[in-house]
Amino acid sequence: MSEPADTQLVPPSSVVLVSGGSRGLGLAIVTDLLDAGVRVAAFARTITPELEKLAAEHPDRVHVGSVDVTDLRAAQSFVREVEQRLGPIDGIVNNAAMGQDSLHAHTATEDIARIIETNLTAPLQLTRLVIRRMLAKGLRGRIVNITSICGQRGFPGLVAYSATKGGMDAATRSLARELGGRMLVNSVAPGFFASEMSAVLGPTQLDQIVRRTPTGHLTEPVEVTPVVRMLLREHTNINGQVIVVDGAASI
Amino acid sequence: MNELSRAQIRDLMAQVLKNQDKELPADDAAQLREIGFRSLDFSELALRVEDETGEELNFDAPGLRRIATVGDVLDFLVELQHQ
Repeated sequence: MSEPADTQLVPPSSVVLVSGGSRGLGLAIVTDLLDAGVRVAAFARTITPELEKLAAEHPDRVHVGSVDVTDLRAAQSFVREVEQRLGPIDGIVNNAAMGQDSLHAHTATEDIARIIETNLTAPLQLTRLVIRRMLAKGLRGRIVNITSICGQRGFPGLVAYSATKGGMDAATRSLARELGGRMLVNSVAPGFFASEMSAVLGPTQLDQIVRRTPTGHLTEPVEVTPVVRMLLREHTNINGQVIVVDGAASI
Repeated sequence: MNELSRAQIRDLMAQVLKNQDKELPADDAAQLREIGFRSLDFSELALRVEDETGEELNFDAPGLRRIATVGDVLDFLVELQHQ
């Protein structure tokens, strides 16, 4: 469909939904957005004490819930709760994901299905749910998909995981086109973190990545949060892009 | 379940190496690095065990990374069959 461009600017997001917001990068994103004065709705399978503490500190600006991202019905009622408490959602960060650490030949088929459901199907459905509500209300908004350098470069032991991350990067581009400037849609693709999911690579592989990284260190969540915040809050013309944050390890 | 013994797995391991003109030492403490038995050779061996038993052997990579000797390979595959 070729239509006249929508030239109205997309305002900064004021109510942001963050999936997988209870630990690691997700928790760092929630913390950073709260510091920036944004209202934040965060869900995760398990609410950690860290997330509970944030909710207690900002009772009027945070809504948290225990929701499995693959449970669409639960996600739907969470979104309704959020809208009642914080107002209409005009930003979403698709961060919830599960890792992988197994050679493709020896990964159980049900595990492959679970990785795809959690990392690809669920965020696409959550995004659909939220953009339907935004479109219905005539809202403009921002979408940030947290993907991974795995979507662009190969790493052993992460075949299904990489497929989902590359899939989300591809969806980002098509969604940016489809939403015709009403919403800005981008991916942020971090390199490997020292903690959490990148424990998947094992110490030898991580040492190798550090040696090959011009900045000399693995990515830290606090090095990624400003980029997410910029995409949600700043007036830029960045749309349909994948921004890699990996210290040039992959260059 | 049809299960392979440690000795049967050792025979299969010797075949995998023989196909690459390599020899499996009798000593379980022999280092895989020195023999030239790599992670995809482990995959091949695991798949051969699967063929014999008819049961899929799926496993995560951390277990694989801990394997350093011939004995480790045999122990790991014996253990995997019990899972």
